[in-house]
Amino acid sequence: MKKLALAGLLALGLTGCSSDDPQVLNLYNWSEYMPQEVLTRFEEETGVKVVYTTYDSNEAMYARLKLLDESAAYDLAVPSTYYVSKMRNEGLLLPIDHSKISGFDQLDPELTGLNIDPENQYSVPYLWGTTGIGVDTADIEGEPVTAWEDLWDERFKGRVNLTNDMREVFHMGLRVLGYSGNSTDPQQIEEAYEKLTELMPSVRTFNSDAPRMPFLEGEADVGMIWNGEAVMGKDSMEALEYVYPKEGVIAWLDSFVIPKNAKNPEAAHQFISFVLQPEIAALISEDIGYATPVLSARELLGDEVAGDRASYPKPEDMVNAEFQADIGDEALQVYAKYWEKLKSGL
Amino acid sequence: MMLSIKQQPFRAAVLVLVWGWLLFLVLAPNMLVVGASVMTRDPSTFISLPLNLDAYRQLFNPLYLEVFLHSLYMAAITTLICLLIGYPFAWALSRVDKRRQMLLIFLLIVPFWTNSLVRTYALKLILATNGLLNSALISLGVLDEPAQLLYTEGAVIVGLVYLLLPFMILPLYSVFEDLRQDVLLASHDLGAGRLATFKNIIVPLTLPGVLAGVMLVLLPAMGLFFVPDILGGSRNLLVGNVIKNQFLDARNWPFGAAASIVLTLTMALLMFAHRLSKRRLGEEDA
Amino acid sequence: MRWLARSYLALVYLLLYVPIAVLIVFSFNDSRTGYNWGGFSLRWYESLFNNHAMVQAMWNSLWLALTAATVSTCIGALTALALHRYRFRGKKVLNGMLFVVMMSPEIVLAISLLGLFLLLGLKLGYVSLLLAHVTFCLPFVVITVMARLSGFDERLPEAARDLGASDFTMTRTVLIPVIMPALMAGWLLGFTLSMDDVVVSTFVSGPSYEILPLRIYSMVRVGLKPEVNALGTLLLVFSLVMLMLSQWILSRSKQ
Repeated sequence: MKKLALAGLLALGLTGCSSDDPQVLNLYNWSEYMPQEVLTRFEEETGVKVVYTTYDSNEAMYARLKLLDESAAYDLAVPSTYYVSKMRNEGLLLPIDHSKISGFDQLDPELTGLNIDPENQYSVPYLWGTTGIGVDTADIEGEPVTAWEDLWDERFKGRVNLTNDMREVFHMGLRVLGYSGNSTDPQQIEEAYEKLTELMPSVRTFNSDAPRMPFLEGEADVGMIWNGEAVMGKDSMEALEYVYPKEGVIAWLDSFVIPKNAKNPEAAHQFISFVLQPEIAALISEDIGYATPVLSARELLGDEVAGDRASYPKPEDMVNAEFQADIGDEALQVYAKYWEKLKSGL
Repeated sequence: MMLSIKQQPFRAAVLVLVWGWLLFLVLAPNMLVVGASVMTRDPSTFISLPLNLDAYRQLFNPLYLEVFLHSLYMAAITTLICLLIGYPFAWALSRVDKRRQMLLIFLLIVPFWTNSLVRTYALKLILATNGLLNSALISLGVLDEPAQLLYTEGAVIVGLVYLLLPFMILPLYSVFEDLRQDVLLASHDLGAGRLATFKNIIVPLTLPGVLAGVMLVLLPAMGLFFVPDILGGSRNLLVGNVIKNQFLDARNWPFGAAASIVLTLTMALLMFAHRLSKRRLGEEDA
Repeated sequence: MRWLARSYLALVYLLLYVPIAVLIVFSFNDSRTGYNWGGFSLRWYESLFNNHAMVQAMWNSLWLALTAATVSTCIGALTALALHRYRFRGKKVLNGMLFVVMMSPEIVLAISLLGLFLLLGLKLGYVSLLLAHVTFCLPFVVITVMARLSGFDERLPEAARDLGASDFTMTRTVLIPVIMPALMAGWLLGFTLSMDDVVVSTFVSGPSYEILPLRIYSMVRVGLKPEVNALGTLLLVFSLVMLMLSQWILSRSKQ
């Protein structure tokens, strides 16, 4: 009887939701990371309906793609930097068929063939950006902020924002000590932890949802921020400046990948080509505030965007910049331990 | 069993439905959690054999004890405030005439249909340094410069109380609704003062509602991780935050599972102790 | 005493509605970020209505919350009645399971349910969401109904039985009317929880059935977008209209 009831219940529901329509593209992306206009235009041009589902951290995206099977498949996802290599190594991705992609040659050679995916067999760059220092120039006095080290300054006590991202915060700590931001040496990680505990009394908040918000709310005067957020924040707060710290910014690259269970890889390729068109890429960069890797799109951007040093850094800004790399599981555990200690040992 | 089905088909159907649901959707997944907690963490498949108790050993780290106690403390304060606001509120509500009562209850619930996250963000608009409360207090001359309200323990508690208050009020209301006026009158007629009536009649009769309310508030208050994230600047961690971090960021599923099991057991123990003490006081256990 | 009680009620309602009022006011704010006033504008409502995915998600959510609340109220009420009235083996175990659901951090419930659905090969979508939502709403209903039953005069059902009523008839004619307020409260709690849930839904929903809280969650996380305020306002207006409609129907049917 139990079984019967359950079976009935299941059957009832299963018939209610069967949509294996081939003309659907399931796009799994960061929240607010693709203008609605781009989706609409793609739908009009190709007749493929885009279902846009969002995630808010690489970790959540990774866990879901890893757990889900064919029953709920995504056709396209946008992992950050080293998650590409992680997912590739674990066999979670389908190779990209480059014969179906147009516009790949338009991409900035600096951003293709990175060691996360040396021949771009599995990924195509979408947008890239940096994590640097945001400064509310109206609210601070004295020497200008030029380095991560300056966050430790007495005058910023209780006014510092950090991103709520373990890897980024430790990256900064490690760089201040002169180590690589991708260190896997437990000794160095512990030193970075010690250094960061000294910063904790200054830290007002951790924010990785919208790091510009603490500045706009008047809660923080200085701290870690993503360049696109700084650009967006400047719209409503003229005094918000983006600074490239001496020790080097944290650089990251978000790429399109096709998960292995994708049902409509055809449409996924189509969509990637669509987004690589200079006109579309320019539209995205203008709307989202991050830099597009499509070189020919930069010429289409107004001076206001392309000339903005926060979005499109000058070569000297990128000295010492470092991309995040996969640090392996063992180091991850060390980081995680110190991260929890850091955040609760208040 | 066959006999009882023939005798009481309704009873049998109810029991089968209830058991079926709980076994299938509660016991089975929880067995998976217990299973996960004794497995070994695995970087590529999340969990793998061999079985061991490492995850539980890890829990004895003083760090986690500290987080747990802090979380319990915040949840307890939240519950207490909800009770202090909710108890007189439910009483007053049950005294309003019947026709308005329904309306008032709906009005209590309706704000909660606008999504708790959105409302938490609205609180942020009020509490921020540039926010409405500070502006209002400054323009009224109460403050000279903005007070630091956001990203404090207080802000987290305000958020928790705001989100959980109806979960205290509703069960309280349903017991007050039941409290018959003639019982109170009888008590009065027998010469009991207001305080005595309250202590000897009202409190014991509403106790089940209080307990239900406390459970409905205390437990979620330990797990609503987005409140410290939004209002506490990710600093006043709740147990919910730690467990979430273990599952997502650190990808240590056995540890996350073990933490959640221990949390459940601790709460069960607290409940059990409470019942025991009640029984010792000679009250009837329902 | 009476006016004191009234003004206390009014005060608490005021506090509850202040953030909502802020939300409504800011939904008409022309400025893109929440903190300054940029003039009156309806543009956020416009952009909301042009967002078809959002409108679809709203209907999905309403339907899910409606069904989840109803199913969990039915099962929850039966569970509470069974716990209250029947003697059966494993009663404590049953109690314990309900407790575990309430106690489990949402993320654990989410991952364990996902694990179960994957094991069973259940397609993620409406059904998986419904099963999950009913499950986490269930204990809230049971507790609310139990609180009501424990203050209930035991002799009433006995009397009904003595008069020859079957168990079913007795439940229908005696018990259900008694627990009606608790059922309503439980249903409302369930509806609220379902409309609000983010964590469990994140894991057990599939791309084919997106619901509102997930949309809202991803929107508010990147800073309070004014569209979210507009959406919150609309949800509120919708609920108020429903409320007034039901009041009106009730008063009509009484006359």
